Amino acid sequence: MATVDERTEAAQAAGAPFRPSTGGWAGRGVVYAVVAFFVLGFPMLREPFEAALFSRAAIYAIIALSLNVLIGYTGQISLGHQAFVGLGAFTSAYMVTVQEQPFGIAIAVAMLVGALQAGVLGLISLRVRGLYFALVTLSYGLLAESSLFKINALTGGGAGQPAAKPAGFTSDHRFYYLCLLFLAAVLWVDWRMMKTKGGRALLALRENPRVAATFGVDVRLYTLFAFAVAGVFAGLGGALFAHNDGHIASVTFNFQLALLFIIMTVVGGLRSRTGCVVGGGFFALLGWLLERVHLEGPLEHFPFRPLSVEVFELVIGPILLLATLTLFPGGIGQQLRPITKWLGGHRFDVHDRGEKDVQITDVRA
Amino acid sequence: MSVLETIGCSIRFGGVQAAQDVSIAIGDWEIVGIIGPNGAGKTTTFNMITGFYTPNEGRVLFKGRDVTRLGVHERTAIGMGRTFQNVGMVKAATVLENLKTAQHLWAEYAAVAGMVGIPKTFVTEAALTERSDQILELLGLSDLAEERVADLPYGDLKRCELAVVLATDPDVLLLDEPTSGMGPEESEELGDQLLKLREEFGLSIAMIEHHVPMVVRVCDYVYCLSFGQMLAEGEPLEVRNHPEVVTAYMGEDPDEEAS
Repeated sequence: MATVDERTEAAQAAGAPFRPSTGGWAGRGVVYAVVAFFVLGFPMLREPFEAALFSRAAIYAIIALSLNVLIGYTGQISLGHQAFVGLGAFTSAYMVTVQEQPFGIAIAVAMLVGALQAGVLGLISLRVRGLYFALVTLSYGLLAESSLFKINALTGGGAGQPAAKPAGFTSDHRFYYLCLLFLAAVLWVDWRMMKTKGGRALLALRENPRVAATFGVDVRLYTLFAFAVAGVFAGLGGALFAHNDGHIASVTFNFQLALLFIIMTVVGGLRSRTGCVVGGGFFALLGWLLERVHLEGPLEHFPFRPLSVEVFELVIGPILLLATLTLFPGGIGQQLRPITKWLGGHRFDVHDRGEKDVQITDVRA
Repeated sequence: MSVLETIGCSIRFGGVQAAQDVSIAIGDWEIVGIIGPNGAGKTTTFNMITGFYTPNEGRVLFKGRDVTRLGVHERTAIGMGRTFQNVGMVKAATVLENLKTAQHLWAEYAAVAGMVGIPKTFVTEAALTERSDQILELLGLSDLAEERVADLPYGDLKRCELAVVLATDPDVLLLDEPTSGMGPEESEELGDQLLKLREEFGLSIAMIEHHVPMVVRVCDYVYCLSFGQMLAEGEPLEVRNHPEVVTAYMGEDPDEEAS
């Protein structure tokens, strides 16, 4: 809060105090209202199965924020996030269905398990870095698929494990708002983390562990801390994933899902909360959006009609990833920056893309 | 009594003896210079003092305590501060953010408390910002507070780095080439500043420095290293005129130097 004041002061000192006019605020208000309508009101008007898709969007946003902690803040890549999310999902489903615990406890246990398994990987990351650490996470994901997810008591075997929605949120529409609430909580925690010592320590660590250590940061502790935070977010995302689907089977959590998670985080934008939310939401809804365009929209007579939506879904992700890696390392978040700045009461500046916030090297580990 | 001391520290990397039996002592309120040609083991000595390297032999004493096996961050916590040859700051962050990061141990709340948003953390954060501003003002760097480190010219970087290391609240300052990238006038200014800071913060300072006039003017005592070994030590002028030191810097045969 003090920093914002200071920035204002600095701006005033520079002789350029910018305050949006009444009309300017009205314009921003309209944008806020439109966004609020699409986030809060629009899903209400759609079918229940579509509300579940919007819940999925909120859940993917949480998962993207989880990966962002690792890739964006600490510079460690996780190619095994399907295991993080999957274990959270099965833990919560198991707690509710087999142990008959209330939803709150199930979610808490899922987050704890997420933190623990991520902590184990964190211990490894202290020894192995870069490409080889990515390989470790990759094999961890595959290992979890073929071992943890094969424990019948936990996952219900091939048939899967039922995961009932909590009392009061049994409809898809109501559960969507619960997911939004959790997403808001994750966004708050992420925001506060980056404004306080934990986040600053992580950014210092990512850039230069030696410098971080001379600042008094315990390198080991904060590496584990980053993994634990990512694990908690992933566990939460997984638990909501399970209850949103109502039934969860191990085939869901395959390597392809881990790839999708990475793509949506990087395309969304590292170190950008807005980017992660938009990226997660976009990829969760991509299939649905394509169908809408395909079935109802202007592409009804598109000559490639015989190609199914899934094909496009598979192609669009990698294309966007390539575009991000080569052209816009900051992803969607960077492209949206002029707008988000403007919404925050600053001048609209198309050229303010914060290019230096995310460098190409960040995404080319 | 010396506040910081290395006793016979040696370290070897494979076949290279990077430091051999290095014993230096920094007294209370003293400014000690460490000079020597490139590759003499000066930075290696700093790395042993601050904990990046553990010496194969010898001990490091800090405030009468054996810290030879203490971690880097633990030494920061008990009052060791250091700068780096190639600038020890977070380049993606602003100068102000760097000062706040450097006050990691001063932020007396758990990282998790900060994430949840406990009211106390807001108060502490404001206090950290205020303290950062004070330090920047003291060093005349307030204008640079909002500048991103990556955008600053090298000379400014070295001055900001000094502010950042002061934010860790050290008792002993280890400066690795503080004047590199600075012109003669700037170096002189920095020398004055160090003398002033010593008064204000009650600092003891050890610095690796190539700029000999600065060393002569500022330092109370000088050590000269060459090929990992102590070549000479004593009063600045004494060391500067020491025949072996002159040889080490100039080379024995001018013709060989030329090739």
